[in-house]
Amino acid sequence: MLKCTIDGREVEFQSGQNLIEVAKKAGIEIPYFCYHPGLSIVAQCRMCTVEIEKNPKLQTACSTPASDGMVVSTKSEKAKKNQRSVMEFLLVNHPLDCPICDKAGECDLQDNSFKFGDAYMRTSEDRRTFMDLDMGPVIKKNMNRCIHCTRCIRFGAEVAGIREMVAIQRGNNTEITTIDGRPLETEYAGNYSDICPTGSLTLKDFRFKKRAWFLKKTATVCEGCSRGCNMEIQQEGGQIYRCIPRENQEINQWWMCDEGRFNYRYTMDKSRITEPKVGTPGALAQTDWGSAIQAARKAIQGKKTLLLLGSDLTQEEAILLQKFAKQTLANADVRHFGTPGVKTVADDAAADRLLKRKSKTSNLHGVEKLGISAFESIPAGTEAILVVRGGRAVLPSFGGVASVVGVGVFADSEAKALSTVLPGAAFTEKDGTIVNFQGQEQKLKRSVLPAGKSKALSEILALWTHQGAGLSSQTGSKSSAATLSEGAV
Amino acid sequence: MNNQNKEFKMGPQMETGNFGGSQGGETLYIQHFRNEEARFLPYYMEKMQGYTALKKAFGMTQAAIVDEMKKSNLRGRGGAGFPTGIKWGFINDKTPFPRYLVCNADESEPGTFKDRDIMRYTPHLLIEGMVIGGFAVSANVGYIYIRGEYTREAKLLQEAIDEAYDKGYLGKNILGSGFDFDLTVHRGAGAYICGEETGLLNSLEGKRGEPRVKPPFPAQAGAFGKPTIVNNVETLANVPFIVNRGGDWFSKLGRLERSGGTRLLSISGHVKKPGVYEIPAGGMTIRQIIYDLCGGVLNDRKLKAVIPGGSSAPVLTADEIDVIYDIEPLMKVNTMLGSAALMVVSEDYCVVKLIHRITKFYAHESCGQCTPCREGCHWMESIIERILHGKGREQDLALLTDISDNIAGKTLCALGDAAAGPVASFVKKFKPDFEAYIRGGKHA
Repeated sequence: MLKCTIDGREVEFQSGQNLIEVAKKAGIEIPYFCYHPGLSIVAQCRMCTVEIEKNPKLQTACSTPASDGMVVSTKSEKAKKNQRSVMEFLLVNHPLDCPICDKAGECDLQDNSFKFGDAYMRTSEDRRTFMDLDMGPVIKKNMNRCIHCTRCIRFGAEVAGIREMVAIQRGNNTEITTIDGRPLETEYAGNYSDICPTGSLTLKDFRFKKRAWFLKKTATVCEGCSRGCNMEIQQEGGQIYRCIPRENQEINQWWMCDEGRFNYRYTMDKSRITEPKVGTPGALAQTDWGSAIQAARKAIQGKKTLLLLGSDLTQEEAILLQKFAKQTLANADVRHFGTPGVKTVADDAAADRLLKRKSKTSNLHGVEKLGISAFESIPAGTEAILVVRGGRAVLPSFGGVASVVGVGVFADSEAKALSTVLPGAAFTEKDGTIVNFQGQEQKLKRSVLPAGKSKALSEILALWTHQGAGLSSQTGSKSSAATLSEGAV
Repeated sequence: MNNQNKEFKMGPQMETGNFGGSQGGETLYIQHFRNEEARFLPYYMEKMQGYTALKKAFGMTQAAIVDEMKKSNLRGRGGAGFPTGIKWGFINDKTPFPRYLVCNADESEPGTFKDRDIMRYTPHLLIEGMVIGGFAVSANVGYIYIRGEYTREAKLLQEAIDEAYDKGYLGKNILGSGFDFDLTVHRGAGAYICGEETGLLNSLEGKRGEPRVKPPFPAQAGAFGKPTIVNNVETLANVPFIVNRGGDWFSKLGRLERSGGTRLLSISGHVKKPGVYEIPAGGMTIRQIIYDLCGGVLNDRKLKAVIPGGSSAPVLTADEIDVIYDIEPLMKVNTMLGSAALMVVSEDYCVVKLIHRITKFYAHESCGQCTPCREGCHWMESIIERILHGKGREQDLALLTDISDNIAGKTLCALGDAAAGPVASFVKKFKPDFEAYIRGGKHA
């Protein structure tokens, strides 16, 4: 086993690992800015320099692979002086506008300055300033805060596959910008903000909305496509402020696309129906849950029913619905729907070079595993449709069937063909399991409570069967109750 | 041709010196400089044993050529003084193909202009040296990365290359040896940093001229990610002499144990006869160079300072010039030979203004990728500028010393050292001059 010594501690490592990673494993922090495990190594910021025995010069830990018997000091006087000096250099031109900067509280520059820098500054010269250009709808650039780590340039070129961020001018005047000042084109622009070690690239969506330290974080999974990127929902007081990716080497590494990042918006949107509604298609009126459930039951009762199940639902919800169909809906036909053009897993493929998949629903692979087949067309003689979806599955045409009960998340505009809407929980509001295209089972975690009067699917179905006890001709209340406690999530 | 020649004539101030000091010794270049015919192939063939070394090299094994280079004690003439034979030896049987040979003709160190004369007057020496070098390391493609401002030299080089192609000294199956070598002149765009070898390679590839992280060194992954040898113009021009007359002979041209050959000096500043000179490596002290070779300080003023190796070398005072002008003796007095560009400063010139100009240069030429150089060089420039404008503070001198210490040895490439060394040495050695500005608000 290969071993080296860092700060007096013997650390095992694998050949090829750099000193930052080896030290991290041993719980020793080597500060850095330009290094990112997912990007090429440029050794530019010079923050990670360490002293290595028998080496007269300080070496950058990011570009130095550990070797057997190497003796490294990250806290020697020489190393510490350089950390102080790099911090000082970086702050010579940094505006120190932390009080109005969105990055404050989660800023590498701020943290490292606190831990490794000096409390006093020796500069009295004017700071350099830049005019900022607009970089499109996702990212706000503030060049004055930039520390030239070039992570964004490398992310664009190496990960997103687009050379749009570049350095222009040189020396003290070096500016990080887009080619010809064009807006960003990549569909992964949000990552620029994630990897920026300071407040130079921030999300326009998040800007000036919330201080980072107030945010409560929930580790969950994106429902944007069949990849299931690991992400974190950050909310306060039931209001979601942003989503950021979590590292998962097998699925999304460190990244996520903008579509997934901002997908949560529909769950907070004003047009989302969060009150039960009944009526006729196009003319729905708000009501209470009791009347709505009765109306829904009436719409379905005794009719030849088709149950359409969105492939954006969790495994638990799908199993529950399968049982519900069997026991309460007289073996109604159950079909799944989701992305137009991607009917089955055979149609699902990579949609770009990085993360995106063609299936825009998260659990296509899961619902197929449950033996549910894809919706093709409405069978002849269908009198009623019960359509259940999470929020992303694209509603098919209901072919003139008048009794359509919708359960789940619908926007006003989507509810036009529905006669009853029972508002359900969105992916941010429920726990559950989804299966991605690799067959990986992942957990959705509830981050916020269901919006308005929305209810979890299990609760809605429980209401349905309990209120229906005695009315139902097909199923006894006993077995329904048993079903629900089994499938409840 | 004659019309073209006229524009290359130098003014009377720019004497090309000739070595004639008491040390004696053979010169290789200087007798051909300022001769407008020297750059053409007939002169080269007749007077300079043109392309005979190449014929001889084709009869030698590659290892034997590298051995001769090692024996010659030729130290790189670009500034770092790395032994050329050892550099070539980095390429061995296991090195993958293709391999490249790149000539660094960027000559961007302020004060240096010796390579320009080689390209003006003896371009075929360089071409022959490169073909031999290419043969020795099995590189079939060579590039000459020439400083953007050297427009005329680029043209002259291209003319010489065309001549060599015509006569079969370049191209396919050179002299029937079966060895192919193509040579391309690539013009830089005017950045100092492209004289740094990895910055040069990036620029050659069409990328931003920024130095790369080392390792990997160019011999492992250089131009286009392939093994590459990068040598200075003068270094490569020495190769035909070494092959023709042997490494031992070349080594003995030098007067020091580990420094062979002759050296071309670029001498500028306040001397009576500035210009390019040739001396045996390690054959003279700085005092001899200034007073014997160049006729003394201009207007017989007192000597104030000497910058011995291009503007990046730490400065020497008038009391420190009895030092042999070569790599190791200068290292012992904490400065460097660099590109052998000696800049002489008389008492008439203000050293604070001088260091301001030097620092401004490095701040301007910093590529901007690594922190200490990008931020530190400009910071030092601002402080010195403030001192010059009478707004200096007592603590500025300690601050300058500390900033330069924080830059030196901590940057990605040597530009940081180049900027830090002069500042630290000027502040240390000419403190009263700075203090005069700080206290009195003007020049002492």
